[in-house]
Parts: sequence; C-alpha cells; structure tokens
Amino acid sequence: MLAKRVIACLDIAGGRVVKGVNFRGLRDAGDPVDAARGYCDEGIDEIVLLDVSATNEGRASALDTVAAVSAAIDVPLAVGGGVRSVEDIARLLDAGADKVAINSAAVADPGLLARAAERFGRQCVVISIDARHAPNGYEIATHSAQVRVPRDPIAWALQAQELGAGELLLTSIDRDGTQRGFDTELIAAARAALRIPIVASGGAGALDSFADAFEAGADAALAASVFHDGVLRIGEVKDACARRGVTVRA
Amino acid sequence: MSTPSIGILDLGAANRANVARAIERSGARVSFVRAQPELDACDALVLPGVAHLGYIAAELDRLALRAPLLRAVGRGVPLLGICAGYQLLFEGSDEAPQARGLGIFDGHVRALRTARLPHMGWNRVERSDGSADWAYFAHTFAPPISACAIATTELDGERFVSAARRGAVLGVQFHPERSGAYGRGVLDAFVTLAREASCLQSA
Repeated sequence: MLAKRVIACLDIAGGRVVKGVNFRGLRDAGDPVDAARGYCDEGIDEIVLLDVSATNEGRASALDTVAAVSAAIDVPLAVGGGVRSVEDIARLLDAGADKVAINSAAVADPGLLARAAERFGRQCVVISIDARHAPNGYEIATHSAQVRVPRDPIAWALQAQELGAGELLLTSIDRDGTQRGFDTELIAAARAALRIPIVASGGAGALDSFADAFEAGADAALAASVFHDGVLRIGEVKDACARRGVTVRA
Repeated sequence: MSTPSIGILDLGAANRANVARAIERSGARVSFVRAQPELDACDALVLPGVAHLGYIAAELDRLALRAPLLRAVGRGVPLLGICAGYQLLFEGSDEAPQARGLGIFDGHVRALRTARLPHMGWNRVERSDGSADWAYFAHTFAPPISACAIATTELDGERFVSAARRGAVLGVQFHPERSGAYGRGVLDAFVTLAREASCLQSA
C-alpha cells in the first residue's frame, strides 16, 4: 500500500537554509547538507529544495548546493526555483534532482510543462503553486509571493495537470511559517478536482496537523520551520499519523 | 577484489547523476555511454529512469545503440533497467504506442488503473517468499504480471511486476538509487553480478 509521505523542505538562499513567515523576513536556519543528512537519518520520505532567490535574481537554482544535498541523501530530491526551460531541468537532474518543481515560469509559459513531460515523463514534473485567500476565494502569486496573479489555484492546477504536471506542490502563503496547521480547505478543493498527487505545504505545526492534511486529501505533507527548529521530530510525526490510521513508511 | 566498470546509457533524460553516485557507492566505476565502443567496453550496463519512454526509445535508435545493447545482453553482460529504463526492456508501452521496446521481457507496459496517478511515493516490494521492503516509486505505467517477475507491488487493488529478471537482465520499477538501505542492497547485488561477469570475461 502506498504510504503518505512526510517531506522536509529546505528553502535555500546564498547556500544556506533560510525560513521566514508568509514568505517574508528570511532568517538563517542552518547548513543544507547537514540538515538533509539529519532528516534522512530520521526517516524523512523526500526532500524538497527550493532556491527561493533564484527567480527574483533571474538565475537558475544553485547547482552546487543541489549536488551537495543530493549526494548526502538516499531518498528522492525535488528541486525548484528559477526553472525556466527544459535545459534548466536537464541541468538540475545532472546535478542531482529526481524531480523538478516549476512555479513562476509555468505561469508565464504553460507549454513548458508539456515540453518537460515529453522528455522526462510527467512523474518528473511538479507544478508548484503558491496560493492565498482573496476577497472571493483564492488567488495565486509568483516570484516568491511578490507578484500577485488573479487566478484560481485549483483551475490553474487542473490546467497544469492536463498539460503534463505529475504532482502538485500546493503552498498556502497565508499559513507559510505560521505553524497554524495546513489549509485543509484548499487541500480538499484541490483533491476534489485533481488526479495527480498533492503535496500540502504551509502551516505545519502541531503533530496532528499532518494527519489533518492527509485526511483532507494530501498525498504528502511538507514542513520546514518545525523540523529546522527541532519543534517536531520526523519519527513522532509519523507515529502520530499511524495512530490516526494513516499509512506511513516505518 | 576487482572494480567492475558499469556504463549508464546516456539517452538524454535521466537522473543519471544520482544513479551514478549510488552505483559508485556500491563499489563500481561508472561511465556514461553514448556510442558503441564505450558500450562494448563495459562489464555491465544500466538503463536509468526519469524519462518519457518515447524520448529514450527514439534516442536509443538515434545513437544506434539498440543492436549493440541487444548483442551485449546476448553475450551475458548484466543489464539493469530502472523505472522508464525497465519499461524499455518490454515489447512496448502505452506511454509511447509508436515506440519499439527492446523485447527482452515479454509483454506490453500499460497505464495503471488507479484513479490517482502518477503512482508517487514509497510502496512495498513483495517477494514470493512473503518478505517485503519499502521502495520509492514515481511512474504512471507498469508491466503486467509475467513469468519473469521476482517481486510485485500492489496499488489500489491492482498488482504489477515491480522487479523482474531474465538471466543477467534485471529490471526494477522503483528507484533503487533513492530507496534507502533496501535500494542500496539491490545495487550492491547488481555490482556483484557485474564483478562476476568481469572476472568471467577476463578468465
């Protein structure tokens, strides 16, 4: 039986792990290789590495950091940040990515998702969507939440799925870094509309918040601050999920 | 103990860096193969995953590696196919109906029937003796049950062949390079097979 995944996210800037709240006020949260190796030893199911300054600095993800993190782990690595072309994806895979997350570039050029899937298969292509509450429902934002896009995240995810995305990384900007729990309403809406797996992101807090995300329909739940700051251990998160009847990898 | 030389076929789409690192960790020397002389010099070969089947099947023919690869398999050179590379070992696939597989394993690769695709994450690889291990999967298509099966995996009531073997040809639907200690064991076993083959050839 397919297990629900617990994922650790490393937001990277200047070769260091950083973390903010609602995408703002980034602070240093350690060395990415040490963090990745530690999470791997604790039983993490996957690592997501996001180069959070790449798009706004107009460059691709830091390949040396990707390679160093990848060499330190034996679980899958998804990489995002500044991915604009099929060649960018090839370079990230050659550095050590197993999957690639595309956010701002897919909004500007949706055909990139199709071109990526035709070469690397849809299972390699993650559509990353940053969403927040708007007066009438939700809207999305790109460029690390700095550019507002008046578009419904679920409709956009559905379009991305049809183009070639094989997974959705769905981040709540409102919940990012707040430890208030995942946006289960947003997750449930995505689950009702989509066929592809959903990675819930933004708001991981109490132990039970992970099982809440899974029960709302997430296939994986991602966290950063609570792991970086040692608030939660990966083992206790999985134990809490198992107690609620969620299948996790032992 | 000799260090076998393992060639990873470079068909333009793969997480080849991670496959290479993992195989080196298991004790082999690794090179990327894009031409017949390089292919012929290897003790064992790997078809990596993270690709659209149509893309790598076309690239195999564009680089004129199909016949040399099949001849190497005929000589008993060990071959490991991972994910899309594993699916290429069958006769064909729904992912790319016009593409021709290598036909080393009988059967046609089909889309999984579950409503939630791709099959993404950790699932159980179950052997006929009842033992099982967790491994990482990321795929939409899978081979049907056949005589070559050495392990199967279940997804929403459907069972597919997650590991197959015919002679020195092994195929795995999961990613051993990303499947923790179990995956390392699979690659260790393949490197041992490569080492034995290199000794036979030099004997």
